[in-house]
Amino acid sequence: MGYASKSPWVIHYDGSSCNGCDIEVLATLCPGFDGERFGVVNTGNPKHADIFLVTGSVNAQNIDVVREIYDQMIEPKVVVACGICACSGGIFQDCYNVLGGVDKAIPVDVYAPGCAVRPETLIDAIVEGVAVLDEKAAQMKSAEKAR
Amino acid sequence: MRCGTHSGTPIAVPLSHSHEVNEKGKAEMQLIATLILLPLIAAILLLIIRQNTARTIIVCAFGTLIALASVVFAGTYLAAGPVFFDFNHPLIDHACTAISGLCVVVILAFSAKYKNIWAALLAIIQIIVVMVVEFGFASQMEVEIGLYTDLLSIIMVLIIGIIGSGICIYALGYMEDFQAHQDAAARDRRPTFFALMFIFLSAMFAIVLSNNMSWMFTAWEVTTLCSFLLIGYTKTDEAIRNAFRQIIMNLAGGIAFIVALWFAITDVGTLSLIEFLQAGIANPAIVAVPITFLAFAGITKAAQMPFQTWLLGAMVAPTPTSALLHSSTMVKAGVFLLVKLAPLFLLNTIPSVMVMLVGGITFLLCSFMAISQTNAKRVLAYSTIANLGLITMCAGVGTPEAVWAAIFLIIFHAIAKSLLFLCVGTAEHHIGSRDIEDMDLLFERMPRLARFMMLGIMCMFIAPFGMLIAKWGALVSFANMDQIALILILAFGSAATFMFWAKWLGKLAGIAGQPPNVELSVHKSEWVSILLMVMLLVFACIALPAISAYLVEPYVVSAYQFAPVAFLVQDISFDNLYLASISVCIVVIALFCGLGRSKKRQVDVYLAGVSRDDDARAFQNSLSGQTVATARNWYMEDVFGEARIAPVGVVFNSVVMLCAVVLALVGITLA
Amino acid sequence: MSLMELIIPILASLVFAVVAPVVGCLLAGVDRILSARMQGRVGPPLLQPYYDVRKLMGKERVDVNTVQGAYVVCAFIFACLAGGIFFSGGNLLMCVFIITLSSLFLIMAAWSTRSPYAEVGAARETMQVMSYEPMVLLFAVAFYMATALILPTEGIGSFNVGAAFSLDFPVIAYIWPVFLGLLFILTIKLRKSPFDLSMSHHAHQEIVRGITTEMSGSTLALVEVLHWCENVLFLGWVSIFFVWGAWWSVLIAIVVALAVYFLEILIDNNFARVKWQFMLKSAWAVALVGGGINIAVLAFV
Repeated sequence: MGYASKSPWVIHYDGSSCNGCDIEVLATLCPGFDGERFGVVNTGNPKHADIFLVTGSVNAQNIDVVREIYDQMIEPKVVVACGICACSGGIFQDCYNVLGGVDKAIPVDVYAPGCAVRPETLIDAIVEGVAVLDEKAAQMKSAEKAR
Repeated sequence: MRCGTHSGTPIAVPLSHSHEVNEKGKAEMQLIATLILLPLIAAILLLIIRQNTARTIIVCAFGTLIALASVVFAGTYLAAGPVFFDFNHPLIDHACTAISGLCVVVILAFSAKYKNIWAALLAIIQIIVVMVVEFGFASQMEVEIGLYTDLLSIIMVLIIGIIGSGICIYALGYMEDFQAHQDAAARDRRPTFFALMFIFLSAMFAIVLSNNMSWMFTAWEVTTLCSFLLIGYTKTDEAIRNAFRQIIMNLAGGIAFIVALWFAITDVGTLSLIEFLQAGIANPAIVAVPITFLAFAGITKAAQMPFQTWLLGAMVAPTPTSALLHSSTMVKAGVFLLVKLAPLFLLNTIPSVMVMLVGGITFLLCSFMAISQTNAKRVLAYSTIANLGLITMCAGVGTPEAVWAAIFLIIFHAIAKSLLFLCVGTAEHHIGSRDIEDMDLLFERMPRLARFMMLGIMCMFIAPFGMLIAKWGALVSFANMDQIALILILAFGSAATFMFWAKWLGKLAGIAGQPPNVELSVHKSEWVSILLMVMLLVFACIALPAISAYLVEPYVVSAYQFAPVAFLVQDISFDNLYLASISVCIVVIALFCGLGRSKKRQVDVYLAGVSRDDDARAFQNSLSGQTVATARNWYMEDVFGEARIAPVGVVFNSVVMLCAVVLALVGITLA
Repeated sequence: MSLMELIIPILASLVFAVVAPVVGCLLAGVDRILSARMQGRVGPPLLQPYYDVRKLMGKERVDVNTVQGAYVVCAFIFACLAGGIFFSGGNLLMCVFIITLSSLFLIMAAWSTRSPYAEVGAARETMQVMSYEPMVLLFAVAFYMATALILPTEGIGSFNVGAAFSLDFPVIAYIWPVFLGLLFILTIKLRKSPFDLSMSHHAHQEIVRGITTEMSGSTLALVEVLHWCENVLFLGWVSIFFVWGAWWSVLIAIVVALAVYFLEILIDNNFARVKWQFMLKSAWAVALVGGGINIAVLAFV
């Protein structure tokens, strides 16, 4: 296991949701679930973050924001779509302004379903994402060596 | 009570020794004469030959000559210790009186032209006192030793000669731009400007080399007049007003000076500086009144509160003038006098307390007020006044360590401040503003200039650069003397100093994409001078241990022969000085690296949301419109504003000085 | 002056650059666990700060300009130099000045980015330095004056940290008000609430992450390590109050330093952040009262 997986710093962005998932994301970091046991720290800065937690669907208004945050995150990075809206657009899928899930804007690594997504699911998803993070870090390392 | 001459006083430099040196000294008199006369010749030439190219050649040639002469001078007398020149002639005394008279006539003429009663009144008072002193008393006063030199003079000569002429050369390019900004119809008065600059240098040399205090006084008045004319150079209403403010305050100082000479004659019986100092050391009480008045003169010249406004007003002048006034001349004459008198302050409580308090309060309050300024030149002005306050404070404490610190403050302040003024002047002509807020991105627009400016700023307030090492010396001496108030003043003042310099430094340090480089049109003469200052600064910081060992410490030891000099070496030991030198190297490297491109991938800054234009810091707002993020420095007007703080210092210091003068006079009457 | 006197602090700085991060990392780990326990959580493993830094080193190397990284390296070098000077028994004032230089470089690094958030952080950091600087200087002076009273040299004190080991009793006896004042501003220096204005350990996100906003990857890792080193140095300052001639006084000093560290964590977890006005006023008031009165009393003893 590399170091990337031992300290997953997350950044949280809310697209267009009912805010149920946002509450759950924050609950995950609260004492009850204590995400910091796994080194999870909530940051407000994409440049510091490893895991991008997106809640809610992507729409015409926020797609640029989602892309910008993703672009400003530094490799290796992982995207977790939190909740069904983020996975596929969910109940808002057919709205005139909704484009769909987060994967319409940026590549998503882990899908965490639920309406709202439960903290246990989120922790699972982060742990899943952490494995992807390690993988990407290893790839980066070997690519660097090859160069 | 009168104390005739030095005879019978076994202290200080024995004069027999000096006579010995005289024989050799006579042959070398030319060197001192060269120093004083070279700038005068340059001034006359500049007034006669008014052509542009010729002026460039004259200024460059004489600037270089003066700098070389001062280096040769330093080299010649460095190892000699104090040297006294048996040089006097009634003609020179008369010439001095005539020059003093001439100064007053010029001031009267200007007062009449601009209808300023106060200046005229003070000038008349001054000339009356001068006449009384000159013809009533001084004519019987024979001062055998007209000129002298010691290590402090050598340091001052180097500062005046090298930095002063560097500024004159810088002025060539600056004044060309300056003239270009003026009306085409306006008369080109640059010859007068340059002539005044050189006369200034000549007068400064005379101040630091004269042992005859009435000669010194004449030179003192010449610098006052020169700066009056230089400040009023642009002849705008503001310039005229500020010039008159300067002349009124400095005439008051001049009157104090001549009154001091009066007391020196009546109470001490000498006009020779060295004899005056010896007499004062032997019998402190008799010099209490004259040194109080001399200190007053020094305080006006050094623009200490309540006289700080003249130096702030002087900012209307072209930048080379400000550079000259702030770094190597004018204000340095004031602190030079105070440092010279420092041993006497150690023995005289009243003037000592006055000088300490005035300097201390000035340092503290001006450091505070500098925080609230956005105009770069005003920040520099407040920092100058504050640092002079620190020097004044050290002189007032008067211990060997304090004098050590004061001399280093003079050296580093002169170099760093001239560098900063030259940089601000050049930046002003190229970015069209002297506001710090407009210096955003200077690092990219004028990459070299910004780095030089940063170096200058760092030298002003942060270890390991010279100024802070000197402050360190000051702190140690205050601690040794148990000067609690001064320790507190230094601690809080330094914190404020950090604030106003660091935020300016930060403004300069900003880097964005690739704004156009406007640096290419900077005049060569400006670069030469700026580079000279940079090299001096780096050299002085790195060579600090050597300067201390060969120049400053020997001076302090010779000035304090009457008191055991328990030296700084224990407190600021040499390994610390060397550590400081090493750190200077690291900082300089760090500043000037990064000129190349980094191998890392370049990314944009974080603007929260969608950035539109990263260099302009524009981002898409919540209504899909565009917003530009702006960040201003903190000025904290309501805490550190001038309106709030200045009156406190003015009132406090005025009261302190009034009390000191009254107490000193009462003391002498009672005795 | 011998060459050795110059070499010792430099060697000590190198040693400090290796040892202080280890100690500082453990302290940071303890800090995070204790904070978690105070909040009713389990908290991360002890070595979590180390994992964080290792992860940051593995990130892609990006930068917003060419100088930020160099400035941070300078800040680190000077912090190590300050540590080396202190722990080799060198001059306390020199140590104080050099650590200020280190802070200045960090401030410049933040300002060089022109990021609005980093600029706000840098401005606040400048304000923090202005707030704590008087007390730090007075601490050095008070140490000097206290040693002057205690040392057998008859009134000649020493700024040298090493002089503490030739004392008959620790300086705390004379300068405990200064000690309390130092504790107060230590909260600023350790970046603890209520004075963590420029950069917080926690998810206070109103200025994103203050001065470190534009730092990422290895640069951010170096800032973390720098912070560990600083913490070790500051705890060194605390412990110097309790050292005297007896060798075992060092143990007491370490215990006190750890107790102080615990106290700071407790404060951190119990106070909300204040505004800069309060920080400036209170820090200066503490310096004036604690520092000023203390050295005034020392001067008249």
